Amino acid sequence: MSTGCGQTMAADSSAQTSGMALSSPAPKATGLKSALNTLFQEHVYLAAAATGAALDGREAEFKAAAGALDQNSMAIGRAIGSVYGPDAEQAFLPLWRKHIGFAVDYTVGVAGKDRAKQDKAVNDLIGYTRDFGAFLNSANPDLPTKVVADLVQHHVVTLKSVIDAQASKDQARAYTALRTAAGHMQAIADPLADAIAKQFPDRFGS
Amino acid sequence: MRRRWELGVVLAGAFGIAAVAPAPSSPGVEIQLFRFRPARLEVQPGTQVRWTNRDDITHTITGGTPEAPQAAFRLVLEGRGAVADGTFVERGTYPYFCERHHHMRGEIRVQ
Repeated sequence: MSTGCGQTMAADSSAQTSGMALSSPAPKATGLKSALNTLFQEHVYLAAAATGAALDGREAEFKAAAGALDQNSMAIGRAIGSVYGPDAEQAFLPLWRKHIGFAVDYTVGVAGKDRAKQDKAVNDLIGYTRDFGAFLNSANPDLPTKVVADLVQHHVVTLKSVIDAQASKDQARAYTALRTAAGHMQAIADPLADAIAKQFPDRFGS
Repeated sequence: MRRRWELGVVLAGAFGIAAVAPAPSSPGVEIQLFRFRPARLEVQPGTQVRWTNRDDITHTITGGTPEAPQAAFRLVLEGRGAVADGTFVERGTYPYFCERHHHMRGEIRVQ
């Protein structure tokens, strides 16, 4: 266990994603940013793996991907907890899982060509973005609720594009959309890491 | 923005919202980071409890649990700074939760 939470998060993320250990300690701020980027991008790739398998009827693969996605959710929760404490982690995890549930609802709606279910899931996801923004704003006043909500809404939109392309069996479009969706997560991870570093300069400052 | 809810009724014979100015020493429950703090509060009969929302989003104080909601009481705290006061007049245990965020649960024990 390292002394800085940034390094702890980086090491945790590394272990979760690749099993590799950090060869040398990164600066705290850099390590924090890298860890959050890894976790959030992993979230997108695993979510897409799960939705792709679900839409293609590959049940065993869907279950495995969904399990891995939840492991990623717990890792993100631990990252939040390492900064804001166990209470925050306990509150964050159900909130985070909620949006995954809505994405599953959307995927089921697409698979069943159920427009009403799709619309409800999209509305739930859009509504969720406000909750997520409020949570991070509560944790860190340097993260305005609306700014975070807009960023997460873009995450929803980009992931929806992936699911729609997967459903239409357009693999080229699906993977292009997937790269876009994964790339967008930096727009969430970087400001979050910067705000945490500003809030706790002793722990995460450069 | 600060808002205050004052209802001069006693609901279900157990939970009343008193239309009186809160005493400075009234026990309180802070709502922050989508948690009730403290999650469990013990008070004596007739004690006024104040909930204060520190989150930038609406939370509710709804009697019961998500699995078994009760119509005994329901308060809405619309965003940061909103407060609501309630006076518990009868002994008992009163669980409550937030309707929008089911993991948010609290309990008032009147002894």
